[in-house]
Amino acid sequence: MATKVNRATAVGETSASRLSPELLLGLYRMMVKCRMCDEKARILFRQGKYAGNFYSNVGQEAGEVGAAYSLRDDDWVAPSHRDWTSNIIKRAPLKYCFAQLYGKADSPDRGKSTPAHMGYPELHVITPASTIAAQLMIGTGVAWGLRRQGKDSVVVSFCGDGATSIGWFHEALNFAGVHQLPMIYVVQNNLWAESVPLRLQTALKNLSDRAKGHGIAGVSVDGNDILDVYEAATAAIARARNGEGPTVLECKTYRWYGHSEIDPAKYRMKEEVEEWKRKDPIPRFEKYLAEHKLLDDEQKKQVRDEITREIDEAVEFAEKSPYPAPEEALEHVWA
Amino acid sequence: MARTITFIDAINEALHQEMERDDRVCILGEDLGMGGGVFKATAGLYQKFGEERVLDSPLAEGIIIGAAIGASLVGFRPVPEIQFADFIGDAVDPILQQAAKLRYRSAGGFTCPITIRVCWGGGTGGGLYHSQENTVWFAHEPGIRVLVPSTPYDAKGMLIAAIRDENPVLFFEHKKLYRTAKGEVPEDLYTVPLDKASVRRPGRDMTVLTYGYMTSLVMNAAEEMSKRGVEAEVVDLRSLAPLDRETIVESARKTSRCLIVHEDTKTLGIGAELVAILNEEAFDYLDAPVMRLTGPDIPPVPFSPPLEKFFMVDEQKILAGMEKLAAY
Ligand SMILES: Cc1ncc(C[n+]2csc(CCOP(=O)(O)OP(=O)(O)O)c2C)c(N)n1
Ligand SMILES: [Mg+2]
Repeated sequence: MATKVNRATAVGETSASRLSPELLLGLYRMMVKCRMCDEKARILFRQGKYAGNFYSNVGQEAGEVGAAYSLRDDDWVAPSHRDWTSNIIKRAPLKYCFAQLYGKADSPDRGKSTPAHMGYPELHVITPASTIAAQLMIGTGVAWGLRRQGKDSVVVSFCGDGATSIGWFHEALNFAGVHQLPMIYVVQNNLWAESVPLRLQTALKNLSDRAKGHGIAGVSVDGNDILDVYEAATAAIARARNGEGPTVLECKTYRWYGHSEIDPAKYRMKEEVEEWKRKDPIPRFEKYLAEHKLLDDEQKKQVRDEITREIDEAVEFAEKSPYPAPEEALEHVWA
Repeated sequence: MARTITFIDAINEALHQEMERDDRVCILGEDLGMGGGVFKATAGLYQKFGEERVLDSPLAEGIIIGAAIGASLVGFRPVPEIQFADFIGDAVDPILQQAAKLRYRSAGGFTCPITIRVCWGGGTGGGLYHSQENTVWFAHEPGIRVLVPSTPYDAKGMLIAAIRDENPVLFFEHKKLYRTAKGEVPEDLYTVPLDKASVRRPGRDMTVLTYGYMTSLVMNAAEEMSKRGVEAEVVDLRSLAPLDRETIVESARKTSRCLIVHEDTKTLGIGAELVAILNEEAFDYLDAPVMRLTGPDIPPVPFSPPLEKFFMVDEQKILAGMEKLAAY
């Protein structure tokens, strides 16, 4: 039950030899894709292209990608409001992710849920409610079911620091502990729950210590270090597959923008934001990859160009997709 | 072959037989495994099916429902139990915001076929926290069935139908009925339709709409009224959500007088909705205003015997209500 605390060293010095160049570049490409899609989602919102709201994940990509990148199709993800990009990481087609933002008929939920509350049933991403921590209980139930079916699939759930205060978080961890379920509770500790700072949320220094009270494994990692997250997540996923029980994986990170697109986040100090932007997980990883001769400026540009094209196509698809017919509001209430 | 058994035996038998028939069915909740349930509704299941399928859960209503929802997503048909309706609070979000809405919010991508058994109701000296009815909290929510069986026959047939239904279901079992209600129940598996009210007694002079424990009291009162020359039609709603508007309206149009009887408190009880339906669909047929006989608007149910008696609708109160309506 090791708790690694906020490693402040350089990016993943031990990982180079263990992870293939293909995987390292894959992680990189996915982080950039999440960043670019998320930034695009913000721009589209500001342009008034879709209604509702959006909860940006920018700044937290290392935790998101590190935890979910290597999941299999039969593994499950239980996202929260801030994890629209987890669908992208689970390889949901980008066009549907953007159709989701627009509330169009081609969104997986045919416009029923709000833009960021996206699931993708075929890939086992559970459509979230807004209720904080509800996804943790449902995900835990899925893990219980998978375990009883003798499958070796796992469930990765995402939540924030604020979510670790509510009772349902603890009910889920406790149940997963009793039954040693294949659950990975990723806590994206971005220091803020809307406008409430962590110091008013809990007296704990490490949110992975929440695990101790439930007799399960807890690990805290530098959530802006993709390799740190990836290694810890891979270990937790392997344990879960082997029937060795659940893990709380705290990723210490930061949300660059407001709680949502309508929150100017005036409650935060500029210095704090600037400090965390300097810890941006993407340039950090680029530096690492460059040092290992895996990435040069040419390739960086190529990655971004490719993703830009993918996004443009996806946005075009979303914009052309029809809205659901008004009467569709009546569908899907009853089975 | 049918034989006479109690309401609780009917529930127990339904669980035994449906679990034998379908190995996706599993139950979880407090004290229902080794202990067989505080009312013994789940007796013998743990011994027969083992801990995998009959799970004593931690004392945490949220995860009882949350875990059931999750397991249903991978193909199980969980039947979680809330030991007393009074303690459903922690599970309200999982029930209303998750189970009831999962299908809607995913446009059918996920469905949640769980059957939540809940023990409810007063009249047994349970006091403030072992007597409550909160069916309407849930009946207000589209997407989840709220069932309130009143006979052993319905208890078995509706529970089996509920487990097989693709919708989430709240299955409210009145604790007063557990051992007092006896009736003919087939030994074999059978189902009862989940969205049909039952006309328990035909009559031409007035309609009484009721459900749960109140049904048998209303039936007795109707027999008494018959001796006094008033033939009451007794409609047992059986399902509070969705409501069987057709049967309700048809009966009201026929008899032109309606009395609603429920144990729940008056304000915004299901009676209020029934009045609205009758207003919308039977107004021109009515010879009297629709009357409501309900629990008073006080916290249900105060403990001391005279206080409980004051709270509970009983046969005398029903007779008085029927007389009043007949005389209008
Ligand atoms: C049970 C509940 N209470 C309140 C809210 C309103 N709310 C939405 S997000 C949020 C803050 C969440 O903070 P955190 O868990 O740290 O996640 P983050 O937004 O930082 O990713 C609040 C209070 C809610 N959705 N659910
Ligand atoms: Mg937060």
